[in-house]
Amino acid sequence: MVRGYLRWPRRAAVTACLALLLGPGAQAQSPTPGGMPPPPGMSLERSNAMRFPQPVEVGQLIGRTVLQPVESQNVLGHVHSVVRDDKGQVLVVMSFGGILGFGSRLIAVPVDAMVLLGDVMEVAAYTPPQLSHFATFDPAGTTPVPPETVVRVGLAKPSH
Amino acid sequence: MRSPHRPKDFAHTDALEVHRPLIRSLERRGLIRGGLSLGALTLLTGCDVKRPEAVETALLAISRLNDDVQALLFDPTHLAPTYPVSMILRPPKFNAYYDVMDVKPVNGASWKLELSGLIADKRPWTLSDLTAMPQRSMVIRHICVEGWDYIGGWTGVPLRDFLERVGADLRAKYVAFKTADDYPSSIDMATALHPQTLLALQYGGDPLADPFGFPMRLRMSTKLGYKNPKWVTAIEVTNTYPGGYWENLGFPWFAGI
Repeated sequence: MVRGYLRWPRRAAVTACLALLLGPGAQAQSPTPGGMPPPPGMSLERSNAMRFPQPVEVGQLIGRTVLQPVESQNVLGHVHSVVRDDKGQVLVVMSFGGILGFGSRLIAVPVDAMVLLGDVMEVAAYTPPQLSHFATFDPAGTTPVPPETVVRVGLAKPSH
Repeated sequence: MRSPHRPKDFAHTDALEVHRPLIRSLERRGLIRGGLSLGALTLLTGCDVKRPEAVETALLAISRLNDDVQALLFDPTHLAPTYPVSMILRPPKFNAYYDVMDVKPVNGASWKLELSGLIADKRPWTLSDLTAMPQRSMVIRHICVEGWDYIGGWTGVPLRDFLERVGADLRAKYVAFKTADDYPSSIDMATALHPQTLLALQYGGDPLADPFGFPMRLRMSTKLGYKNPKWVTAIEVTNTYPGGYWENLGFPWFAGI
């Protein structure tokens, strides 16, 4: 796919405005998808450590769109809040499921299972079917993480 | 009930075998090329559309023409919009031709910037040499050819100041870059001398993080994202077209915004 794209560069299409000749649009600079799940057996912590986790304030995560790391970048939900469970693990509480925003529920996903992608996030370690089996978030036994708290989240390149 | 759209007689079972050679001759890319060729034919008389490489050559020629037009339109003193520090996205968005897990961090202590070409003083530079130079900060929009963008805050040495310091021939055509991740790139001298072209050392007031090009990367406000190589290890000033990683694969070279 990329090889084909590279043979027909986008700027040729821009140039076409001069020459009245159309070319195909730009697609991706990334020949392979980002946000790949960790290899079988690898812990979320270790997988996240390989993704050069970067500091980000919790308050900057609230409201971010959460995508599925596939070329179509399906929207999985939005970040609702960030909490810490009784074991100290940081969890990202996100809306999930439903149709057009209706009927969604909150689930808590370990922050190490997620990645930053500019101003959005992706769930790298779980597929949507796996997420559908996550229990609905129950705040009992968790502690909200203040917005100014800095957590470290791994990176991914665009999946498109 | 039998559907009224269902044919009374089924297709011959050997139809697929009979037409298999024809089906094999159909290629999706062939259709695309054919579509392009239709447009090309109206303008490029004499172009043999039966040869895809001929169409490709024609398109690349037009892309080069587009580069020349962009270079003509480029105003070396016109500044791109800047933004308040509060709009800086932290951390910035990662992108490369490989996934982030394949990033190979560079050791800043042993890192050296090699110089070559039309430069009077070719002594290699260290990170401390660069940090000792006057720094400039800018908050600009990063625009990717893929269609996304973000606002980032960069601090570093204006490339113009650096080129003047090392005695580069500022009349040369190109400034080329080599990087630790084998991502060569090059820009025109006019853009190299633009006030918003930096050898960036910091992002958001902190040293560049490993995935974003530590210890030094190029950042320009006037070109698309793929023209900004990370982990720069060498700079060459030259009059010979140097190309670049994506440019050698067909991306436009000037890539102005």
